[in-house]
Amino acid sequence: MKGSLYALLYAAVLGAVCALLLTAVANVTAPYRQANEEAEQILNILIVLDVNIPSDASAKQLGEIFENNVRQEQRNGVEAFVRFQPDAREQIQAIALQFSGTGLWGPIKGFLALEPDMKTIRGLTFYEQQETAGLGGKIVEKEFRDQFAGKSIVDKDGNPGIIISRTGDPAPNKVDGISGATMTCDKVQNMLNEVIKKISKVKE
Amino acid sequence: MACGTRGLCGGRGLLTLKEGAWSNNPLAIQVLGICSALAVTTRLENSLVMGGALIFVCVGSNLVVSLLRKLTPHRIRMIVEVCVIATYVIIFDQFLKAFYWDMSKQLGPYVGLIITNCIVMGRAEAFALQNPPILSIIDGIANGLGYAAVLAIIGFCRELLGAGEIFGYKVLGEAWYTPNQLMILAPGAFFAFGIAIGIFNWIKGPEPEEKKP
Repeated sequence: MKGSLYALLYAAVLGAVCALLLTAVANVTAPYRQANEEAEQILNILIVLDVNIPSDASAKQLGEIFENNVRQEQRNGVEAFVRFQPDAREQIQAIALQFSGTGLWGPIKGFLALEPDMKTIRGLTFYEQQETAGLGGKIVEKEFRDQFAGKSIVDKDGNPGIIISRTGDPAPNKVDGISGATMTCDKVQNMLNEVIKKISKVKE
Repeated sequence: MACGTRGLCGGRGLLTLKEGAWSNNPLAIQVLGICSALAVTTRLENSLVMGGALIFVCVGSNLVVSLLRKLTPHRIRMIVEVCVIATYVIIFDQFLKAFYWDMSKQLGPYVGLIITNCIVMGRAEAFALQNPPILSIIDGIANGLGYAAVLAIIGFCRELLGAGEIFGYKVLGEAWYTPNQLMILAPGAFFAFGIAIGIFNWIKGPEPEEKKP
């Protein structure tokens, strides 16, 4: 009995010391980690919007390029990043919409880039996902993402929404899913459609 | 605390060093912790950072486990070891994320997986629990170095043959060397690792026969 009490106390003290240490380290490194994550975010936006970036650009340079080419705004409650011409701010070249949702194992986050017509998909990227490597994880691969370029976010009757599926007839708003990753594809389809529906709500 | 009168614990230190890094090398002889060794060795730089991480964690956990060895209740010693190891690994991972972002992205989950690396746990359990702190530190350095050295060799071969580069710089000209993509992929890791172990054991020679009573 005495031994058990000692073991419990020992575990509690050790756990507390380790937790304290980790909290301290997390606090010290937090600003640096956040800066890195923000730079990564900016890089992702610039890539999906097709902005030219030097391959060895520093975080600061990325920030400047971002400032000169992209503005952030809310569109129907969707976080949007608008790429404009550096000399004419009203001339929109592309627009990236942030989307997120729950994946199979953890959150999935990414950007859906549209052409200025707001109907044609320009590209798709994911910057956070923990899907099964080799199955759902394939959503980050070029082969899957490249299918989206040129697709429409509305079906032939004009209803907003896209379909990710291996079955069914080809359509302007449909891409192939990944076999063995139906759950991931369904979830991605739903989170994309959520954004697409919001953005298409007010149309002139 | 006393672990000897002269030098590195009176000779035991050197023996420990030799055993961990060479005659009982965790990768080449014991074949432990090969998951990470196969996964991160696509580039020399990654291999070195991973080796550094293991040295840091192994030394740190060996030290703490050894310092606490007389206080730790026997029944919960393994949980204690894992707790100590995990603390070190997370600290390393956080610093990597803060100051070495690109590397952190490339190594991905493999830094975190050091927690479950058999080498670290094995050294804590087999060595640090029975030995004084200084000797345990030496053991941690030795095993970490042994791991890092083999990783560096595999990483060097894979980057050189797979991409024609060393530390990201082209050393084998495109004109006469076509990079062999296979070396970057998983099979290349198995080839390089197997051949490395083979050569290692060939140089080291066979184990001396145990004396029969």
